[in-house]
Amino acid sequence: MMARIPRSAAPIGAFVLVFSLMLALPRGVAAQDPNAFITNLGTQAIQVMGPSMPAPQRLARFRELLRDYFDVNGIGQFVLGRYWRTATPQEQQEFLRLFQEYVAQAYSGRLGEYAGEPFRVVGNRPNGDEIIVSSQVVRSGGNPIQIDWYVVNQGGKPKIADVYVAGVSMKVTQRDEFASIIQRDGGKIDGLLNRLRQKTAAH
Amino acid sequence: MPNRRSPALLSAFILAAALIGCAAPGASGPTQVAAAEAEEANNSDPWENTNRDIFAFNQAVDRNVLVPVAEAYRTVLPDPLRTVVHNFLRNLDGPVIFANDVLQAQPKLATDTFLRFLVNTTLGFGGLIDLATPSGIRYHSNDLGITLAVWGLPEGGYLVLPVLGPSSPRDTAGKVGDGFADPANIVAGNHHLFYATVARAGTDGIDERSRNIETLADIEKTSLDFYATIRSLYRQRRAAQIRHEQTNLPNVTPLGGGDSPPAMTYTFTK
Repeated sequence: MMARIPRSAAPIGAFVLVFSLMLALPRGVAAQDPNAFITNLGTQAIQVMGPSMPAPQRLARFRELLRDYFDVNGIGQFVLGRYWRTATPQEQQEFLRLFQEYVAQAYSGRLGEYAGEPFRVVGNRPNGDEIIVSSQVVRSGGNPIQIDWYVVNQGGKPKIADVYVAGVSMKVTQRDEFASIIQRDGGKIDGLLNRLRQKTAAH
Repeated sequence: MPNRRSPALLSAFILAAALIGCAAPGASGPTQVAAAEAEEANNSDPWENTNRDIFAFNQAVDRNVLVPVAEAYRTVLPDPLRTVVHNFLRNLDGPVIFANDVLQAQPKLATDTFLRFLVNTTLGFGGLIDLATPSGIRYHSNDLGITLAVWGLPEGGYLVLPVLGPSSPRDTAGKVGDGFADPANIVAGNHHLFYATVARAGTDGIDERSRNIETLADIEKTSLDFYATIRSLYRQRRAAQIRHEQTNLPNVTPLGGGDSPPAMTYTFTK
C-alpha cells in the first residue's frame, strides 16, 4: 500500500480544530491527586484480576473499571482517527459501543493472567492539559517496566486517555491497527465494524 | 516499479523522520497533526503484500517449530537455569552494545555497559550471574540499527524477514553489521567454529521466544489484524529506543536479540 499524505490543508485544519476543541479541557486535573487516582486503579485492578475471580465476573468488573477510569469515548475517537469524520453518527456510536466492549474483553483476558506483581506509582509530571503519572511494575528478577498513564480532566473527573508501556502507546497501536484495516477496505469502516462485532460476539 | 515506489519511500522517509522527531508521547495541540502523520508513517508499508505473505509463513514456522521448542525449553530447563543462560547471552552482547553506545555519543550508557560487562564477566563467572543489576546498573540494549537511525539514516520501509520477523532495511543492515563486529562471533570464526555462532543465535532466539509466548499469544488472540499490530508495536518500540527514552523495552520479534521482559500487554507472568 502506498503511503498517502493529506494533500490539502483543509482536512488537517479541521482535524486540528476538532482535536483542539476536544483537548480544551478546563485545568484542574491536579485538583484531584493524580497519583492517588492511578494507585486506586491499580489496587482495584489487582483485586479484580486475581486468579480466584471467575472470568465472567472479571469481565463485568473490568467493564466498570473501564467506564470509571478511562476516557473510552475519547480514546475511541482517537483510535478511529481521520475516519471518524467520514463516519455517520450511527457508525460512530456503534463503533464506540463495539470498541468499548472490545477493549473490555481484550484486556480483562490479558489481565486475568496477572500473577500479582504490584505496581507502584513513582511520580507525575504535567504535559499540556494532561498529567502523566509514571508507575513501575517491579518484575521478579528483571528490570522494572515503566508504565505511563496519561490522565485528563473530563468534566471535573480524572480519566485516563492513554497508557504507555515502556514507550509504546496503547492508543497509537490501536489506531494504527484499525487504520490499516480500514485502508485495506478502501476507506470504509464497515469491515472494521464487522470484525469488531464478530470479535465481541464470542462473549 | 522503482519509480512508483520512490515517492512512497520518500514520503515514508519524511514521515518517519517526522515521527522520530516530533512524536513526543502525549503532546497536545498542534502536534496532533504530527500524530495524524505519525499514523501514516506507522502504517506506510511499500512492500505490504510481500510482507504479509512472509508474516503468514513466519506464523506457521512459529506455531509448528518455535513455540513447541520454546515450550520444551521451559519444561526441560528450570527457571534458575534459564536465567543463567539468559544472563550469559546478554553478557555476550556487551561489547556490541558498548560499541553502539559510544557511536551514539552516550557516555552514561557506555559506562553502564562497560561496568556491567566487567562486573558480570569477572565476578559473575563469565556472565552466568548478573550481579550488575542488583548493584543498580540496569541493562539496556543497543544496536547498530539504532546507531544508524541516530546518525540520520531513514528507516527505509517496513520489512518482515523470514523467521526473524519485523525489521526494516536499516535495522537489517544493523543486525548484519553487529553480527560481523561481535567479538564472540569473530573468535568463533577465527577458530572455524561457525556452528558456535549459529548455536548462539539459535539459543538466543529460543530464550527470547520462551519469555514472550503468552504475551504474543495474547496480542494475537485479541488483534483484529495481527500483522498491523506487530508493525505498529515494532515501529513504536524502535522509535522509543532511538529516543533513548526507555532502556527496557518489550521485544515483539519472536526471534532476534534485544531485551527480554515481555512487557507489552498487561500479562505479568514470568
